[in-house]
Amino acid sequence: MSAVVIVGASHAGVQAAASLRQKGWQEGIVLLSAEGDYPYHRPPLSKAYIAGEKDEEQLLLRAPDFYRDQGIDLRLNEPALSIDPHARQVVTASGRLDYGKLVLATGSKARTLPLPGAEARGIHTLRSIADARHLRSSMQDAENIVIIGGGFIGLEFASTAVKQGKSVVVLEAQERLLTRALPERLSAFIGGYHTAKGAMFRYGALPERYTTTDDGRVSGVQLGDGTTLPADLVLVGVGGIADMALIEPLELKTIAGGIEVDAHGLTSAPDIYALGDVAAFHNAYANGAMRLESVQNAVDQAKSAAEHIAGGNAPLGAVPWFWTDQYDLKVQMAGLPRPGTTELLRGDPESGAFSILQMEGDRLVAAYSVNRAADHMASRKLIAAGQSIDQRMAADIDTPLMKAVAVAAVS
Amino acid sequence: MSEAITIKFETSGGEQIEVQARPGVSVMEAAVMNNVGGIEAECGGACICATCHVYCDNLEDGTVGEMSSEEDDMLDMASAERRPTSRLSCQLRVSEKLKDAVFIIPENQF
Ligand SMILES: Cc1cc2nc3c(=O)[nH]c(=O)nc-3n(C[C@H](O)[C@H](O)[C@H](O)COP(=O)(O)OP(=O)(O)OC[C@H]3O[C@@H](n4cnc5c(N)ncnc54)[C@H](O)[C@@H]3O)c2cc1C
Ligand code: FES
Repeated sequence: MSAVVIVGASHAGVQAAASLRQKGWQEGIVLLSAEGDYPYHRPPLSKAYIAGEKDEEQLLLRAPDFYRDQGIDLRLNEPALSIDPHARQVVTASGRLDYGKLVLATGSKARTLPLPGAEARGIHTLRSIADARHLRSSMQDAENIVIIGGGFIGLEFASTAVKQGKSVVVLEAQERLLTRALPERLSAFIGGYHTAKGAMFRYGALPERYTTTDDGRVSGVQLGDGTTLPADLVLVGVGGIADMALIEPLELKTIAGGIEVDAHGLTSAPDIYALGDVAAFHNAYANGAMRLESVQNAVDQAKSAAEHIAGGNAPLGAVPWFWTDQYDLKVQMAGLPRPGTTELLRGDPESGAFSILQMEGDRLVAAYSVNRAADHMASRKLIAAGQSIDQRMAADIDTPLMKAVAVAAVS
Repeated sequence: MSEAITIKFETSGGEQIEVQARPGVSVMEAAVMNNVGGIEAECGGACICATCHVYCDNLEDGTVGEMSSEEDDMLDMASAERRPTSRLSCQLRVSEKLKDAVFIIPENQF
């Protein structure tokens, strides 16, 4: 019995199944999903889907027939309930499944805030299509929206809500947006852009409780300083937590809030892999162990693991990348923030198109581009190559970023 | 609902697949919804992965609309050879103009 059982059918799980077939894996593949919908792209949930620009069919990762044609036994609404590592079985409501290899792709869950009043209607998190459906219909009648957490999901939702003419207040516990993910200059730019469009920000603001109406709907968010912001809809966007509900009997090593894996996605236990949001590994680009919540990471890790399961060797080495869309801003990130870098500004933020390059000595280690796709793509190549670049040329917006390396290489 | 439009994909093996696509969806989405292999579309149409590359060989200039500078830059990253007819299928909208268009899928997307 050497079937692969994959727990979780989203970006990582579906890619692992598809790549296993591409690599010629002949044995069974069972793909268990806790959700009832065919697997879908998650990023549009807070972007085109919530804005009403895409419908559910446009979000599909693969057509329903794909799974059947590829011999992938996708079981919707059949979550893994527990895992028995001694019997090498996964338990679901319909019985026990033997596994030769086990792939954990359970992703992350939205962190919630256990404040008084949190059970009121009108308080949302956004992680799944079910959440998005609910949020999309509730926002139609909402007037005053409070978003707790100025992270990517909160800001994307804010941009859609502002465009729909809602009053939007974003509460951010830190003194600026996206402290860990973005350079200060970029978070200031994004905050300023939102403010100009009409969103309001409260920095350093901590919500204490929700106020509610007599019939159990949220009516406001009370802050630590006693003020209450009126709200008929609240989105709590305070980050994700790896979903490790099943792992206790497996005795897996964990690190940085996730299941520790190597460059093949292999955990500390033989024949057990972990991929995507739930996995943490020593990332050479960040110079430390971390979890990455991104489509690129889920997909690339799944490819490496599929290769390994099928007997090959393709360790993860891709440069991490990520994007967020807010209003007409396309923000694209390559590489990961590291301590002790210096920054170069390429282009003028006033113009609405620029990049911030983070350098370690004369090597590019991370790049943050706003409406500068060419810089983003060049950065992915330059970071991967680890070549020296000419800083003066890199800072000159009229010189293609790729050129900055060519010259440095010959000189 | 507006009428479905017939568009075609040609696999790298030369096989033609005809699909019915809703106007307004992207050519990439039409391929995915109809289970056409070879269009990976890892980023789901965000124009940042270049794994939805197609060649639009039988289309007259202008039929599929202008390319944004973003798409242009991204095409340079595509894994298969870039040709004058290269496009990213997530950036092309299905419309009456694309009736009977053939989109050729490159051998590899990554
Ligand atoms: C609203 C939103 C916007 C985002 N925007 C972007 C973006 O712009 N760019 C980007 O790169 N990334 C974005 N992300 C992050 C990206 O979607 C995630 O990194 C990615 O989905 C991770 O994939 P995954 O397969 O590891 O986990 P998930 O997508 O979290 O999927 C895990 C799946 O496993 C299921 N599961 C859990 N437990 C079990 C069980 N016991 N049995 C069976 N199934 C189980 C879950 O129900 C879920 O379906 C966004 C995420 C969200 C929520
Ligand atoms: S789907 Fe990613 S660029 Fe087209």
